[in-house]
Amino acid sequence: MKEKLNKILKLDRRYLFVLLTLSIIIPIIKPIGIPSKSISTSVKDTYDFIEKMPEGSTIILSLDYDPSTAPELHPMAAAILKHTFKKNIKVIILTFIAGSGGLIDELVRTIPPQYSKEYGKDYVVLPYMANVLAALTQMASDIHSFYDKDINNKPLKDYEMMKNIKNYKDVAGVIGITGTALLDYWVVYVGDKYGVPILGGVTAISQVGYGPYLQKKQLKGLIGGMKGAAEYEKLISQPWKGTSGIDALNIAHILVIVFIIFSNIVLLILKFL
Amino acid sequence: MLYFRYMNKKVFFINLFVLVFFTVNAFSNKGKNSIKQNIEKIELKNLSVLDYPSDKGNSIILYFDKDEKQKNFQYEIYLSTDSTNWIKAKQARYDELSASNIELPFWMWNKKRNINALAIDVTKVFSLQEDDYFKQNPRGFSVYAKIIAIGDNKKYESQIVKGIAKANWFRLDRLNNLVLVIIISIVFFMIVSHAKKRELFIRRIAGLDAIDEAVGRATEMGKPVVYVPGIGSMSGISTIASIFILGEVSKKIAQYDATLKVPHYDPIVFTVAKETVKQSYMEAERPDSYREDINVYITTDQFAYAAAVDGIITREKPAACFYMGYFMAESLLLAEVGAGVGAIQIAGTDVDSQLPFFFTACDYTLIGEELYAAGAYLSKEPMLVSALKAQDFGKFLFITFAIAFSILLLIFSKIETFYAEKLLDIFRVR
Amino acid sequence: MNIIKKYIPLTIVFMFGIITLASYYVPNRASEEYLEWINKWQNIVSAFALFLGTISLFYSHYKKIQRKVDGWGYSLFVYIGFFIIMGAAILSNGNISKEGKLTYLGWGFNNIYNPLSATMFSVLAFFIISTAYRSFKIKSFAAFLLFICGLILMLGNIPLGEIIWDKVFGWTKFTIGEIKDWIISVPSTAGRRGIMIGIAIGAAVTSLKIIFGIERGYMGKE
Repeated sequence: MKEKLNKILKLDRRYLFVLLTLSIIIPIIKPIGIPSKSISTSVKDTYDFIEKMPEGSTIILSLDYDPSTAPELHPMAAAILKHTFKKNIKVIILTFIAGSGGLIDELVRTIPPQYSKEYGKDYVVLPYMANVLAALTQMASDIHSFYDKDINNKPLKDYEMMKNIKNYKDVAGVIGITGTALLDYWVVYVGDKYGVPILGGVTAISQVGYGPYLQKKQLKGLIGGMKGAAEYEKLISQPWKGTSGIDALNIAHILVIVFIIFSNIVLLILKFL
Repeated sequence: MLYFRYMNKKVFFINLFVLVFFTVNAFSNKGKNSIKQNIEKIELKNLSVLDYPSDKGNSIILYFDKDEKQKNFQYEIYLSTDSTNWIKAKQARYDELSASNIELPFWMWNKKRNINALAIDVTKVFSLQEDDYFKQNPRGFSVYAKIIAIGDNKKYESQIVKGIAKANWFRLDRLNNLVLVIIISIVFFMIVSHAKKRELFIRRIAGLDAIDEAVGRATEMGKPVVYVPGIGSMSGISTIASIFILGEVSKKIAQYDATLKVPHYDPIVFTVAKETVKQSYMEAERPDSYREDINVYITTDQFAYAAAVDGIITREKPAACFYMGYFMAESLLLAEVGAGVGAIQIAGTDVDSQLPFFFTACDYTLIGEELYAAGAYLSKEPMLVSALKAQDFGKFLFITFAIAFSILLLIFSKIETFYAEKLLDIFRVR
Repeated sequence: MNIIKKYIPLTIVFMFGIITLASYYVPNRASEEYLEWINKWQNIVSAFALFLGTISLFYSHYKKIQRKVDGWGYSLFVYIGFFIIMGAAILSNGNISKEGKLTYLGWGFNNIYNPLSATMFSVLAFFIISTAYRSFKIKSFAAFLLFICGLILMLGNIPLGEIIWDKVFGWTKFTIGEIKDWIISVPSTAGRRGIMIGIAIGAAVTSLKIIFGIERGYMGKE
């Protein structure tokens, strides 16, 4: 008995990998459709902030994630973009991550046409900049002095929506969606320093770390992980990848919990044998 | 009557027109005079324009004494560069203007003054580009101000006042911050200057003690040691600490004649690490054992780097793996592969979200400050050890302030919020 | 030699450290311009360092190919992959898409880089499950508390967790979401604040050590 239990404890991890693979693939192929009962406060705060923005306001949407974190962050970026376009809010999209170009490109190719939004009038995309601190500091005085051209290499000042935008005082807020620590930079160097409302979208693992900022209202709202993305999609009534991925997330999470409990029960039995 | 009957129609209409014209004109003139007469002159007591303190020179503070009689008034604030062409800067009610609106600490501005006050950004009012503004006004920007007060169905125009928006050279609102920096620096120098006088105690850090064990194991097994300095840049404190530990680890490896591999994410860190490792081999008197390919630059892409390091660990099957520095999601990717090949693993990072992964997958883990203390702990240099004491003093200061001022704030907020505000100002970051 | 290797770098670090620290207390436009200037220099130095790093990368793989060590084919692929993507970037003028169509670089990004990067990140899921099964042993009360908090947070993150909680613990009148929010905003925030403060003070003191030349790790060893 003891040997069998020891063998179970030292189980080849490839069996675990197979079980996990099945638990993720099956719900994706055949969705279960487990309903989400509640919406977390921080997601609701993000939604309410955008909902209460007057039409014609401008926000900065900082999309700083690459394909590795795209499954969690891309759906929430899409949901926010759809919401802002629905509310006729103008969007300045920028990034400090080199690998995000293709993802931003996918968003601006597919979403603006759905809302008849025009480039230059309703949204602009700024080019990738490596130096975050320089960008955040200089945008406080004059965005055009740092970003003189857009991603298409055309003068930013020529675009209709950018004519009245000079610095942070002319934007209603900043939404930073990132898988890195860039949201901290927005909070410290922009939110705290210039009083600009900052909202965020982060991976589930990073969400816990932003508790202090949410508590002190340094962050006005936060969307965390795929569940946060699914909740936001539910609020704007536009289910997409966040909602479709949640079934796989459900089963995978339960599997991990079952494995932990199982291994500890086996260990407990071994202790008393 | 006959005159009117036989009057030319043309003449009649001309007369009618003239009559109507003069009548309308007379009434409109009366209206204009009455509007002009509505804008009376008023002397707002102590109306002044101040330069906004501790700014880069683009703001002013406009203030004047409160008058109870103007409780229901609205104020229109006008600015001009030449006292003739006026631009409306702001409109506000009596109750919207107060001294507490000005976001300055108590040592620069008395928020309890019974005045109407308002801060105005002149570049926004006059639609000036900041670069041009500062180039054209190096000595300050002169501005005239007047107020139109509207109330009791009348308009009152105030006197015109002048002020200058000047660039300041010191942020007095950050005085609290500067004082704290000076205190910590003084304590730091005091402790460091007494460094050699007596030995200072550092508690045992298991992860750093295990370095000898790990390197010894690698030598016995004839397998290499892999040292991963993380994905931070050279400006990161944890990366600097990691390079210091690399120096000590490579010295031991050189002494034991084991093999070392250091894959890099950042090219600047790679350059520094190369020098560090080379020097360590010189100090250990093993220059012949040093090879250029100990340090290898891989890529500046997070997961490509993780894949490459995983490949190195899987192929080389090291006896010991060190993960020291700044890590994000790739931490478990590295640690789990290292655990899979049976290496002894020592990790250290200040990214708390990755600590759980290192705790479960590694044998020893250094948390945040233990990584910063590594330099002092390994080298036992008196200066570095005493700097640790300065850190401890800083923490002690913070804990004392946190507890003491939390209690004081609780008391003051019940008694008098004004003192609570003053207390908060001391710790507010501007 | 000592002057060049030791004293000049120390002087540069001291000067720029003090000026950058002072610029925090100087609101004048001059300090903003200084920060902008130094950021530009940082970019220039990074670009040169990247160039150096790339040369070292090519050199080390060239040596492997030359000596035909085990796995030298992978080193060959470093060259192939680099030049293919560089060629695509040059042909596409650095653009991911043009007039709504994907360029060569865009195709490479969408069909090579995206899937590879996502694959590496998804390997994390497998490693998490392997680590959870192998290493998460509840051997102490602290580990048990950690497990309970982890369990609540994991259940709170999924809709199925809410359903399970309501069925088993619905009688407590607390939802899993409320407990999860409490864990994040109270004990977790308190712990994180403590760590953040410690790290901030450590960073401040380490910065002082670097500025005043006590910590010289960045120069390489003496």
